Amino acid sequence: MSKNFVEVENLSKQYGGNTVLHGINLSIGAGEVVGLIGPNGAGKSTLLKAIMGLIKYSGKLSIFDKDPLKNRTELLKNMSYIADVASLPGWMKVKDLLQFVEQTHPKFDMQRAIELLKDTPIQLASRIETLSKGMKTRLHLVTILAINTDFLVLDEPTLGLDVLVRRDFQDRLVKDYYTQNRSILITTHQVDEIESILTRVVFIKEGRITLDFQMSDLKDRYIKLITNQNVVFSDPALKPIYQRALPEYSELIFHDVDTSALLEYGQVVTPSLEDLFVAINV
Amino acid sequence: MRVMLALLKREILEHRNIWFIPVILVGLAILVRLSLMFGNLNIEFEVPSQLQLDDQINSVVGGVLARGLNWMNYIITMTIMIAACFYSLSSLYNERQDESVLFWRSLPVSDTTTVVSKLLIAIVVAPITVVLCQIVVAFIFLGLGAFDYLAVYFGSSLYLLLKMIFWSLLPTVAWCLFCSEVAKKNPFLLAFVAPILLWVIDSLFLSGVIGDHIMLNRWFGFNSYTSVPLVYGLALSAFFISFAVVKRSQRI
Repeated sequence: MSKNFVEVENLSKQYGGNTVLHGINLSIGAGEVVGLIGPNGAGKSTLLKAIMGLIKYSGKLSIFDKDPLKNRTELLKNMSYIADVASLPGWMKVKDLLQFVEQTHPKFDMQRAIELLKDTPIQLASRIETLSKGMKTRLHLVTILAINTDFLVLDEPTLGLDVLVRRDFQDRLVKDYYTQNRSILITTHQVDEIESILTRVVFIKEGRITLDFQMSDLKDRYIKLITNQNVVFSDPALKPIYQRALPEYSELIFHDVDTSALLEYGQVVTPSLEDLFVAINV
Repeated sequence: MRVMLALLKREILEHRNIWFIPVILVGLAILVRLSLMFGNLNIEFEVPSQLQLDDQINSVVGGVLARGLNWMNYIITMTIMIAACFYSLSSLYNERQDESVLFWRSLPVSDTTTVVSKLLIAIVVAPITVVLCQIVVAFIFLGLGAFDYLAVYFGSSLYLLLKMIFWSLLPTVAWCLFCSEVAKKNPFLLAFVAPILLWVIDSLFLSGVIGDHIMLNRWFGFNSYTSVPLVYGLALSAFFISFAVVKRSQRI
């Protein structure tokens, strides 16, 4: 077994004559929280669906050294995913749901599920359709967290939820799931919120990966200058990759430049992921 | 095995209302029985008291009762089998409608296993329910006499039930599962309209053989089952079921 959970090599996908993914290369190893970030229609979901074994593709793709399309059932014993938080069967009782997962998933830990549920107002005897949207999400997460798999895939898991539930969801992901032996792959377009839990970021645009870096690189390699002077950087060694004029000041983003050269113009900070996302995508 | 049991349990919980049907049938039988005792239902004849110990007379009376019970058993069989078809029509469609199919498919259970579990409910669990219902009803009407009656009744009926499962129920259920998976809006319409159209076209332009062998003989020819519709039926069932499995496996 290779050390990487996921190996994607030159993966392409076409819908009709429309190419959605152009030769994607990506590998994910243990201990990573990878954010796959891109604008709507960039191909995030398509890539994830290929990884989850839901669609055909061309190129090479292996998860735990297996082709997800051919070995889907086998693979799902080692990989969990939440396709849509609104997909839990409403007619089921919480207790029956957990029992069903226990009987169908060899790695489900009922004790742990019940333990995790104790932190929530969810009752075992409740019917799922009577729970609020936030609680359904919580229940779905609890169900998935109680499965001892090493790789978790989440496609826009918090779409349509309020900020409290979103924040809670992300915190629990880190607290209750993440370890050095496990990895999470998560897509989103709410960049700012997810920033703090990621270890690695992959930007995707129009079916191509535009940037792939460790979160620690963000601090070392990208710089944001906040200045109220109207400077023009013509020196190619000191050229901003993005600038934005605001009423009170201007923001400029630089890549791999000497910080000290910028200090005289204003305040130098680390850009947020959102800044960088915009800088890369305009 | 453990997975299959979990799936069967899921089906029973999800389609809870279908399991009221046997309860209602048994309830009806109890009502009729009570009415015979206290209510307005009368058996039109009364055996004169001096003849009540006569074995021959008693066997005639028993025969009349047995015939009544046979009718009731026929109704039980038909009702539950029709319910099984409606169940298969809604099962795959429902999980798509409420989007729970996304959740089910995120667990390590193959599409084949899931579809087979639905098939088993309709062609194994439903017929077992038929037999259980018939046993209960016989005891309601005959008390301990039910043992004798059931021995005779099942002696011939179980074989017929088995035949009915393979000739009629399996292909119909397979067709219903197929419609349930394929239909975009209304599996019921598709399931009823398509065969009617086929039958009309067949009788207008062809010799009627297709409609006859594939459909009519299966539904109305209980007494004249031949092996040709069985072979067609098994082949079609295999096709419908595999198509439903493949189609479900492509849902994203």
